[in-house]
Amino acid sequence: MSKVLPQAIKSKADASANSLWVINYFTACGFLELLPWVGSGYDMERFGILAVSTPRHADVFIIAGYVTEKAVNRIKRIYDQMPSPKYVMALGSCPMTGGMYWDSYSTVKRIDKYIPVDLWVLGCPPKPENIGHAIVMAMNAIKKGFKGH
Amino acid sequence: MPEDIAAALASRFGESVSDLILGERSILFKAEKDAFHEALSLLKTLGFEHLSDVSVVDYMSEGEFEVVYHLWSHARKERATQKVRIPRESPAIDSVVDLWPGAQIHEREAHELFGIRFEGNPDLSPLFLEDWKEIPPFRKDFDTRAYVKKRYEADE
Repeated sequence: MSKVLPQAIKSKADASANSLWVINYFTACGFLELLPWVGSGYDMERFGILAVSTPRHADVFIIAGYVTEKAVNRIKRIYDQMPSPKYVMALGSCPMTGGMYWDSYSTVKRIDKYIPVDLWVLGCPPKPENIGHAIVMAMNAIKKGFKGH
Repeated sequence: MPEDIAAALASRFGESVSDLILGERSILFKAEKDAFHEALSLLKTLGFEHLSDVSVVDYMSEGEFEVVYHLWSHARKERATQKVRIPRESPAIDSVVDLWPGAQIHEREAHELFGIRFEGNPDLSPLFLEDWKEIPPFRKDFDTRAYVKKRYEADE
């Protein structure tokens, strides 16, 4: 029973890792398989993860789906408004390679040329299990003192 | 059935009725450039009060753009499509914002992606593209692959 109960918070890093607040930037289908985490199916709130409505309250910036030339400027503005420490998670093939839109005239091919990215989740779109794996990896890294970029 | 619409267009512009009828609920009218606005105005008075879209086709080998107006009549539940050809060199055509204010955004998009000037449209400023310095990207002579290779070379 003790294994499934919340562990006692031992440090500031522990506290940070257990209260990741997320600002989302979703342009396309990369978001689809994150939805089960928002709902009660996978339930991200049991990890202390909340979706917030302003970048000034956010710790994690999730970018899902392709990013256009126009969107990347908005993404940079959102990133700049977030307080440190801040973490960026890129979901799906599109932000990392351009995905299906690799030969589009207006789609950015690699988002890390514009803002630093801490965690890439593969997939088109990524499965909920992969996203869960990434969330746990991120929480463990933050508990060990990872401060992001 | 759209026979009466076709007959009205035919009597005004001298087409044959059977050429205009595309299907049970749709007609297609290929207008001349100097008559296209009048024809659209006529279609609007005949009940096609909704402009669904303004699209463009690039016929590069023929040196022409084709501007396509997609109309819908809620009362008749029928569709009317009107096409008009304009020269590809310095393309310009009268705006239809005086008939359908909603045409403004469609024409702005067509202006950005094909470079067609819509005379009378109040705002043709860039819509999707930022810092665009090439020819409009939906033209057939725009080489997307070459542009992407050049623009994103550093990302490889």
